[in-house]
Amino acid sequence: MRTQNATAYRFLTPYLLIFAIFWIWPIISSFLISFQATRTVPWRFAPTFNWGRLIGDPAFYNALKNTLLILVIQVPVMISLAIVMAVLLNSPLLKARGLYRFAFFAPVVVGEVAYSAVFRLMFSLDFGIINKLLNSVGLTKIDWFSNVTPAMALIMIAVTWRWAGYNAIIILAGLQSIPEDVYEAATLDRVSRVKQFFYITLPLLKPVIVFCAVLSIIGTMQLFTEPFLITERGGPGGGTETLGLLLYRQGFRSLNFGYASAVAYTMAGLAIAITLVQLWLTREPK
Amino acid sequence: MAAVTLTNVVKRFGVFEVVHGANIDIADGEFVVFVGPSGCGKSTLLRMIAGLEDISGGDIAIGGKVMNDVEAADRGIAMVFQSYALYPHMTVEQNLSFGLRMNGNPKADTERRVKRAAEILRIDELMQRRPKQLSGGQRQRVAIGRAIVREPQVFLFDEPLSNLDAELRVQMRVEISRLHKELGVTMIYVTHDQTEAMTLADRIVVLKAGNVEQIGAPLDLYDDPANRFVAGFIGSPKMNFLKANVVETSNSAAIIELVNHGGARLRKPLSNAFPAVGAEVVLGVRPEHFFEAGEGDCDIPVKADVAEHLGSVSYVYANAGPEELIVEREASRQRASGDHFTVSIKAERSLLFDKAGARIR
Ligand SMILES: Nc1ncnc2c1ncn2[C@@H]1O[C@H](COP(=O)(O)OP(=O)(O)OP(=O)(O)O)[C@@H](O)[C@H]1O
Ligand SMILES: [Mg+2]
Repeated sequence: MRTQNATAYRFLTPYLLIFAIFWIWPIISSFLISFQATRTVPWRFAPTFNWGRLIGDPAFYNALKNTLLILVIQVPVMISLAIVMAVLLNSPLLKARGLYRFAFFAPVVVGEVAYSAVFRLMFSLDFGIINKLLNSVGLTKIDWFSNVTPAMALIMIAVTWRWAGYNAIIILAGLQSIPEDVYEAATLDRVSRVKQFFYITLPLLKPVIVFCAVLSIIGTMQLFTEPFLITERGGPGGGTETLGLLLYRQGFRSLNFGYASAVAYTMAGLAIAITLVQLWLTREPK
Repeated sequence: MAAVTLTNVVKRFGVFEVVHGANIDIADGEFVVFVGPSGCGKSTLLRMIAGLEDISGGDIAIGGKVMNDVEAADRGIAMVFQSYALYPHMTVEQNLSFGLRMNGNPKADTERRVKRAAEILRIDELMQRRPKQLSGGQRQRVAIGRAIVREPQVFLFDEPLSNLDAELRVQMRVEISRLHKELGVTMIYVTHDQTEAMTLADRIVVLKAGNVEQIGAPLDLYDDPANRFVAGFIGSPKMNFLKANVVETSNSAAIIELVNHGGARLRKPLSNAFPAVGAEVVLGVRPEHFFEAGEGDCDIPVKADVAEHLGSVSYVYANAGPEELIVEREASRQRASGDHFTVSIKAERSLLFDKAGARIR
């Protein structure tokens, strides 16, 4: 048994080495870097240099506020939408189910840059189809990119478009694992379709929904592509700058690795904290 | 309480017809079992009565009222599913009361009904558990409890015991019987297990491939089956079927020759139909109707192949040419494998069928 294990570990060594060098070490290293002053060479150990700055940095609070705002609005809207999509996909009345499933899932596999470019076009002030549509129903055009509120809305719409289908597919799998005869029993119990949804489907989907919510929270905490590409680096004027963008700005443009590391750890810590709170709130009653 | 009447009931899935005009009359308070091999349409019939499947043709009436277009919930029935179909996220108590609560039934009445069901089924101790925390038998009780709580006119059971082990099955069988006596309501019970059918039913409906083969009391079906299918399906171990030819007929009997048993002959008195001389027929003999050599009307020698000793009786799987016969022997007359012995058939303890399987009386 022991020799068997040893042999196994020898085969695993290349992977374990790569894992240690490219995963474990950066995680430890960035944690250490967050305690160093990295503005000047050589770097020196200064525990409060970055963390102290973080606590008083208006740019950090702006990015934090934007990230959390997107989180509390976009995630619930998207999950609700995903549930509705999943229920529709699961309906026996639906024809061409495979086609819809593909269509819902497609945004995930579209390249980020391509999708951002399309969104920029669609929402452009003078040529965009969205403003044309608004005009045609008698509403005024919206300058999506120059005002903070529409810009934030745009980010949320884009993220929702991209991930709602993905979540819908996961929820669909959960829906299909609920046995049909439970609904038949409820029908015999004179429970209406709507009540069946709220008293049977939703409670039984809870674990799947929590799973989707956790994934979405982690994703949104790291939100980067959309504010970077669609609203042009968190514009207008930092109005859509997220923690992910702040990290990028500090780490890769100002080359301030210590501060960027501190931001990164804050993001991870917040994601873990919010997830734990969520898991605790939705725990199974004993 | 209510009678259930099926008149020319047909079910089609698309172009595929699976029930071909069933006529079944079930009296108020009767316990009727639908029995038949897998895929014969038992569940489909039951689900049509419940209102879970549309009726493609004919009428289903409950309590004298045609129910074809009545919602499942308004038919006054309750159904127990094979997989129990309990609400997994609710406690036993919530499972029982869910339907009533959703319909705004007065709280005191709901509590009374739940309490009564729990007492009848002895599940009072389990009320706060979830289905996951229950054994198969306990889940089955809860499923039945959920049906009782609805206080239905008709109970429908779809193979409720098939997920239980043998011992529990016997125990629950007795409980369902007791429940029927206690509640006195009409019960329709689907199973493919003829033992369950025999022990539970007031009357059995034997189905085969979407057709009703015969309806009758358990012992009537056992003693006087209408055809070879019913004869083979009811009774365990199965009835033996011996190939035979008609060699002579008179106006009150036919003489047949058992082709696989050295030309042994049997005179079979008949009253209605007389097969032609030379016709191929089949003689049906139940395992317990083989007598000791010389006691019957026709002796055939056999060789014991395997013997199963069950204590009070033994089943001897005996070989005679290409036919294997199952012979029941009292324990005191056991046979060991390899023994040669002779069994005897009595004319009045055997049944004659024509080649197509219809009974010749
Ligand atoms: N939804 C359906 N669509 C098409 N055919 C069906 C459907 N449900 C059942 N059938 C067919 O109808 C026939 C009867 O099915 P049913 O479920 O009533 O059989 P059963 O007697 O209950 O068998 P079992 O003992 O295996 O439960 C089968 O041939 C089955 O394939
Ligand atoms: Mg069935």
